[in-house]
Amino acid sequence: MMKRYDMIVVGAGPAGLSAAIEAAKKGMHVVVYDENAKPGGQLFKQIHKFFGSKEHKAKIRGFHIGEELLAEAAELGVEVVLNAIVIGIFPEKEVTVKVEDHVIHVKGDTILIATGASENMVTFPGWTLPGVIGAGAAQTMMNLHGTLPGKRVLMLGSGNVGLVVSFQLMQAGCEVVAVADAASRVGGYGVHAAKVARCGVPFYLSHTIISADGEDCVTGVTIGEVDKNWQIIPGTEKHFDVDTICLAVGLSPMSKLCDMAGCAMEDNPAKAGFVPTVNEYGETSVPGIYAAGDVSGIEEASSAMIEGRIAGIAAAARLGFISEETCKEEAAKQEAALEGLRQGMFAPGMRGKQITETEEGVEISQNLLKHGFVAEEEIERFPGVTHSAGVHPVIECTQNIPCNPCQDACPKHCIRIGSNITALPSIDPEKKCTGCGMCVASCSGQAIFLVNEDCGDGTAEVTLPYEFLPLPQKGDKGVALNRKGEKVCAAEVVHVRSAKAFDHTNLLTMKVPKEYAMKARFFREEETA
Amino acid sequence: MRIQEHPILGTYEKGKLVSFTFDGKPLEGYAGEPIAMALKNAGVMVHRYTRKEHKPRGIFCAIGRCTDCVMVVNGQPNVRTCITPLEEGMEIRTQYGVTAEQPGGAAK
Amino acid sequence: MNDRNRELRPFVPQPDDDMIVCRCEEITKGEIRRAVHDGMFTLTEIRRYLRTGMGLCQGQTCTKLVKGIVSRELGVRPNELGPATGRAPMRPIEMKVLAKDKEETK
Repeated sequence: MMKRYDMIVVGAGPAGLSAAIEAAKKGMHVVVYDENAKPGGQLFKQIHKFFGSKEHKAKIRGFHIGEELLAEAAELGVEVVLNAIVIGIFPEKEVTVKVEDHVIHVKGDTILIATGASENMVTFPGWTLPGVIGAGAAQTMMNLHGTLPGKRVLMLGSGNVGLVVSFQLMQAGCEVVAVADAASRVGGYGVHAAKVARCGVPFYLSHTIISADGEDCVTGVTIGEVDKNWQIIPGTEKHFDVDTICLAVGLSPMSKLCDMAGCAMEDNPAKAGFVPTVNEYGETSVPGIYAAGDVSGIEEASSAMIEGRIAGIAAAARLGFISEETCKEEAAKQEAALEGLRQGMFAPGMRGKQITETEEGVEISQNLLKHGFVAEEEIERFPGVTHSAGVHPVIECTQNIPCNPCQDACPKHCIRIGSNITALPSIDPEKKCTGCGMCVASCSGQAIFLVNEDCGDGTAEVTLPYEFLPLPQKGDKGVALNRKGEKVCAAEVVHVRSAKAFDHTNLLTMKVPKEYAMKARFFREEETA
Repeated sequence: MRIQEHPILGTYEKGKLVSFTFDGKPLEGYAGEPIAMALKNAGVMVHRYTRKEHKPRGIFCAIGRCTDCVMVVNGQPNVRTCITPLEEGMEIRTQYGVTAEQPGGAAK
Repeated sequence: MNDRNRELRPFVPQPDDDMIVCRCEEITKGEIRRAVHDGMFTLTEIRRYLRTGMGLCQGQTCTKLVKGIVSRELGVRPNELGPATGRAPMRPIEMKVLAKDKEETK
């Protein structure tokens, strides 16, 4: 007899594990197959703090979320089989899996397909040379295996993956020479771009790779500006000596297994590719087969986890482990959380739309979209940027994204977002900032600074989030960089705070001449000469 | 190059230091890490030369999907080095087409 | 896509026709464009004709690229072009493993 499970989950990433946890909680007998040697999907490569609110595990780093999910699954007795490749799904929910050196057949009363996504690629002369790698490869090398992908890197792609990985490359110790993108605007969150730009990385929008140079491996790259028809404009070529070219040009749902299982499919640009059509519970056209996470439309890991939970709940109801009512009730809660994440300027429904102002009616920073940082003449118009005597937060959060940890982080309630989690944070002038720095460390976008604009002796103090090594020490002298990453003045470190509650985001306070209080946003240890 | 200490991840867990050979040359790496990582840290970029055009290839996806990093490991060709754990004494060879034999030349 | 009377613009060589698209089987952009003019209008046909996506990686890298080239050549939107048939095994499996196919017993 074939082994039978209440639920077979394909893929032990955020969606698959969440579904398995939810199903196991209801008493279901669940197995999760994953082709990789380690579970967690891409979560263990995500070392940045997640966006969202508490219910979405905001401000927790991705790999910690992965650890939590694995612990929860283990506690509930979920069987996770690794190095197990699902090679086919056949009628009557029969699944064949390659385990070690043989093929097994198992049967599921329900199946969840959570196979995730694969990276898109672009071609250019030299794209097959060693040294041209996917952004995922860079993350795998540095964050899982402690290996530097290269010394000098060019990043192609300014979506969230390109921006987050650029920052991670610098954290690991690489030099990122530029971020290039054929699109005319930065695709990812402005805050992700800004934290890369202020380290001095130039952004080249409307630029693409002309060629990768090298005989046996990459030794350089040439980029150039493209016109409206994506043709290179002669004379705009720029060359960089690099040993690595990192490609972050989008993801596609890895949905072949759904197609094979007989699920109705659609090619949906809003979901970034070929996906199974699913109902509100993630159920495909084949009753009892569900899809959750990137395989049913590219989104963030946070939404994948909720989609997984919903599918787990629905599968439990289908098999009678819970009543229809309980299912509706629990799914509604999850759907509300999911809805919360699908708001704002980067919501799936907003793909391709050009936004000119925020929900509050503030004009969007054009410089942020074209160059990756908010220009000095633009920053003052955002509600998080205010001036007052003494130390106070300056919140350079300029786009509506679903995120609100800063509001909860402030013990004095200085920061207001309100119930609409995509609202731009604003400062309550009645409440007094104590300079504790919890907001600085809580901001997943590293967009909050504490500023004392006038210390009374002609200087100002700027406290910024710092996630690099070596960590500067009190008394260190160096230079302050502006939002563009240009040196603007001499700076001295007057304070460095690290605390468990900050979770590896150190708070570095530097002293600068007071006219630079609203300009200086990063510190670099350097001879000022 | 290995990352000694990471600002978020701290230090990395490593297996035992083991020796292996690459095209006959002795190298060292950590047991259990992907073969490709040990090679990368030893400065090896080219894993194979393609069958038709004899072009160099190396790590591309690093998660076992693209199969560009395949090499001849202990005599077996087409081994995905980015997901195959390194073991003491492994014999790793550059792959030419689908073998360790250089076209028209003597390998091994 | 099965309208074989579709009028294609004449085949014009392009400067990047020698660019490798399918990394595993080393198939170039020019070969794919030429195949469309030879009458291969679907991804499944292209795959059988040229072996794009039939190498070790099973099309994980090039599928979307091939789709883009074929749709441009046909003058249709990529999402009008259906995907190539998905069938088991989803990943390359050695014959000796398939031979050890066993039903799991309780």
